[in-house]
Formats: sequence, structure tokens, C-alpha cells
Amino acid sequence: MPVVQVQNVVKSYEDNGRIVTQALRGVDMTVEPGEFMAIAGPSGSGKTTLLNLIGALDSATSGVVRVDGRDLSQMSDAALADLRRDRIGFVFQAYNLIPVLTASENAEYVMQLKGVAPAERRKRVAELFAELGLQEFMDSRPPKMSGGQQQRVAVARAIAAEPAVVLADEPTANLDQATGRALIAMMRKLNRERGVTFIFSTHDPMVLEQADRVVRLVDGKVASDDRKPAGN
Amino acid sequence: MGSLLKISWRNIWRNRRRTLINMSAAGFGLFLIIVFTGLTDGIMADGKRSLANTGMGHVEIYAPGWRLQHKAGQALANPAALLASLPLPPGAQAGARVVARGLATSAHGGQGVQIHGVDPAVEARLANYAADLRQGGPLTADDAHGILVGEELAKRLQLRVGLKVRLMAQRADGEIGADLYRVRGIFHSISPNLSRGVVLVTSASAETLLGVGDVAHQIVIQLPRPDDADAVAAQLRTALGANYDIVTYGELLPLLKTMEATYKDIMIVMALFVYTLAGLGILNTMLMSVLERTREFGVMRALGNRPRYVVSLVLAEAFWIGTISAAAGLALGLLVTRLGSAQPLMDFGKTMGESFELGGMVLKTAFRTEFSPLAALKASMAIYLLTLAVGLYPAWRVSRMRPAEAIRAA
Repeated sequence: MPVVQVQNVVKSYEDNGRIVTQALRGVDMTVEPGEFMAIAGPSGSGKTTLLNLIGALDSATSGVVRVDGRDLSQMSDAALADLRRDRIGFVFQAYNLIPVLTASENAEYVMQLKGVAPAERRKRVAELFAELGLQEFMDSRPPKMSGGQQQRVAVARAIAAEPAVVLADEPTANLDQATGRALIAMMRKLNRERGVTFIFSTHDPMVLEQADRVVRLVDGKVASDDRKPAGN
Repeated sequence: MGSLLKISWRNIWRNRRRTLINMSAAGFGLFLIIVFTGLTDGIMADGKRSLANTGMGHVEIYAPGWRLQHKAGQALANPAALLASLPLPPGAQAGARVVARGLATSAHGGQGVQIHGVDPAVEARLANYAADLRQGGPLTADDAHGILVGEELAKRLQLRVGLKVRLMAQRADGEIGADLYRVRGIFHSISPNLSRGVVLVTSASAETLLGVGDVAHQIVIQLPRPDDADAVAAQLRTALGANYDIVTYGELLPLLKTMEATYKDIMIVMALFVYTLAGLGILNTMLMSVLERTREFGVMRALGNRPRYVVSLVLAEAFWIGTISAAAGLALGLLVTRLGSAQPLMDFGKTMGESFELGGMVLKTAFRTEFSPLAALKASMAIYLLTLAVGLYPAWRVSRMRPAEAIRAA
């Protein structure tokens, strides 16, 4: 079963009942488990809007978005929150760590919401931090960390609770070239070794180069859907 | 829950200065309310205690007509039996007085006085001045010619312990009765008028002076809780019937009741002002604090928190602010009212003397606070609930946003 299905999705932003922006104009897309894909396109093409709809952060004006086969438009706010907690991981462009929590507490946060036992949480975070080279930042607060370090913590937070899919909105946009490259390599490794599905929105050529599949949006429509040949 | 309290605790200290100002405003408002309530309650309690300074009872019983005419014959017969039959609450003190207006004279002058014929041991519990002897000693029950006079009267008539003073009063038969008394003691009263105008003799000698039998003109009752006066008076009216004139201090001193009601109204208005100002201050601070973290709340929702978690988090922050503000205001308020109950909070003694009279009350010029932990706790609960209530609006506002909308917020 596809992890994400998007069918003829339209998203309009309105102001006092008047449509001011049509961000998506009938998008269709299917994502299978284990994919490492990017949604590309110029600014304003609807990348972030599409990710928000897939991530149940916003609702479509029309069309259907399914995650794990569940139609998001038929779910209550509470059920959507549970879906995000249990099945979706987020990595934001601006990291968006909770500043009053330490790096390890941030990484544990979603697991805590899911009710994972403290010992298990600490074990998983210790392993992840070791894998991501964050051991020395366990007790650091986000404002004291660099952008790259914060984004790695954000990735740890996104995958620690073992979601079905990780949605990363321009994850390298605020990072320098080397840090961005290292981050993508790390995500690629997690994709290969743990089978985590990643969907990026990006216009960073380096990220696009790494992706197995690139869906290009132009003016809210899918302009192309290219897959790399297997084995590359 | 633990995580919620931990995160909310850390959140409130993100802007330490703002939080401290916020808490200070609420805590200081509470402190003011506790201290002003304590002070007004103290003044009112002093007003009620002042009854004992003047020898007035919380409830008094007279023969009908005596309060208007003061005739020696308008008296209550067999006062001992009457006292024994009174249905009084535990802890109440009651005593009988023979009362007459008369003239006290010595070799150095004369002074109109009110003569109180009393049981000396009982009177000491009913009237503070009767127990506050500055010279000499108390009367004994069988002292037929002993008298206690106030310092002011002693000064005016140049009396000392052991000297003689003559009392004259109209007898029940209309003749003028007169007798010589020897000063056994000189008492102090905070009221100069009372110190000058009241003398104490035994009941028996007053009865002899006035030519009456075993009677009393006044039954004085002091209650452990002055506020019970109306209920006790109603009970007495039922028990004794219509042949007695039963009055409460509220009827004798209507000003005291008026003052009490006025103070309560003033305190309510003041509390409303303080709570409104504190509430607006907290609301403003919490609204700023919540709105500048809109994106963060959006992220929390994105990570899988339900809308009610965001409400709980903001309310948890209000809980901390309310708890610390209320605890600090309460502690400081209790400390000051406790100290103010032991030592006067304000003392105008140097300019106004020991007391001042107001509508028949004798009030001390040194104002003490009433130490009332229960009243302080109630005020604290009010500020605490207020903090939680004003936290609801920003919490509700941010919980209504879609996560994507909240994350987009700058």
C-alpha cells in the first residue's frame, strides 16, 4: 500500500471568502514505502503547501490526501494529531526545535507523546545521537547549537519515533554546502539502512541529485515526475 | 503531566524580567488586598473590642423605659436569678449593674458622674478599665464604702487612694441620696470622658445609695464572637418575653454597623480594581508570550500534540505564574498582617492621643491589623483563579490555529 496518495488536490488560500492564491491546482502523486524523493520547483510553486497537506498540517480545498490509506479529510483534529504523532516525522527549514528542551529531550519528545518508556527513549536517542555524531550535545539547548547541529537533532526527532514517512521542508536551505551535503548523506543512510521514507521539498541541486525520484511542481501543478533508474 | 509542568516551568523563565514583573504585579496586588483587608478588619475588630473599653456589652438588657428616663425605680428585679436563666453561648460573660447619674465631690470640686454599682470580680471581665488599676487595689464584694475612680476624675478632684469622695444621686423615692466613699483604687481608661465620668462601687452600696432593693438597671453581655449579637439577642427576646428591653451593640452604636458595611463595600471596590489591573497585566503578558511563540505551538501540534495540549501548556504556565504570585503575595501579606497584629501598623498616638471617640465608640489611635489566614487564603485563591482565567483566552486563541498557519507565523 502506498504510504502517501494525493489525488486531484486543490489548495486555495482565501481572504474574506475571496480566493487570493491558488497554491495547488489538481496535484496527483503516490509515494511508496522506502522512497527517497524530492518535490522540486521554484518559490511559490506549491512545494511547502503540498508537504503541509501530506503532513496533515493543513487541509485541502478539494481532492483527497491519504496517508497509510486513511483519507485525511475524514479525520478529526485529534485523529490527525495522533496520525502525525504516530506516522509522520517532520524536518523544518528553520529546524523548529523546542528551545526550552535540551537536544536529547527534543529528540525524545515525539516518543514521549507516544508513551514510549523513558529507558527505551533514552536508549534510542543515545543510539541515534551516536549515529548522527551528536553525542556531545545531548544536554545542549538548541540556541547554543549551530544550524547544522540543530538540523541533525531535528532529523533525530523526526525518525526517533519510527514514522512511516519523514517530510522535510527545504532541510538544507539554512545550511552551508558542506553541512547540507552531510545532512542529506545522513538521511540517505537512514533511508537505506532503516527503510525510512523521505519526502523533501527543495530547490537545492545537491539534494535533487541525491533523490531517487523528483516531482517538479510549476504553478501548483505536477510538471514532471522523474525516477532515477534503479541501481544509481 | 510531568513533561507539561517541566516545559511550562522552563517557558515562564524564557523572559525572566517580564515574568518577574508580571508576578510582582499580581503578588503585590494580592499583598495590598491582604494588608488593607487586615487593616480594615483590625479597625472594625478594635471598634468591637472598644465596647469592652467603654464597658458596653455586645448585648444589653434593661427594664423597659430606663434607657430614656434613667429612673432608679425602673429596674430589673432579682438580677442573680435573671443572669442564671439567660441562654448564652459558651464563653459569654454577663454581669449586672446598678446605674445612676450623680455628682462626685471632694474638697477640691465636683464632677457629674455615672455611678456603676457592680460585682467587682465580674465587672473586671466586662470592662477593661475596671481591671486596669494604676493605683490602689480592687473593690471587694462586701466593701460598702469603697470606690474606684478614673485617673481624670482623680486629677480633677485631687483624689488619691485613701481619700474621701462624696456621691450624690436621686433615690427611687425622689429624694437625694448621698454617702461618703473612700478611694480604694484609681483606674486607667483609654477614654478621657470615661476616666472622668464613671465611678465604680459595689452593687450593694449603690442599692443603698439609691434606696432600691436587690435590683439591676443593666445586664451587660460580652460575647466571644461579637457578630453573634443579633442571634443571641433574638434568642433572649424569645426566652425572656416582652418585659425586657434587649438591645445589641449595633443598635446602640449604629455607626459601627454602618462603618462595617462601608468598609466591606470599599474593600470590594478596591479588590475589583486591583484584580482588574492585575488581570489585565497578566493577560497582556501572557498574550504577548503566547503570540510570540505561535510558531512553536504550531510545531508542537505538528509533532502530534492535540489542540487541548496547547491549551494545557498555556494554562500550566498560568498555573506557575499564579502559584508563585499567590504564594509570594500570601506570604508577604501574612507576614505584615501578623506583625501588624502584634505591633501597630500605623500609630497616630503622638498627635491624637491614646484614643479618639466616634459615634460613641472609643477607638485606639494605634491601628493594628487583624491576622486572618483564612481571609488571606481566600484573596489568594481569587488571584490564583484570576490568573488561570486570563490564561484561557490566549490558550484558546492559539489552539484554534491550524498547525501550518501557526508555523507560518513570523
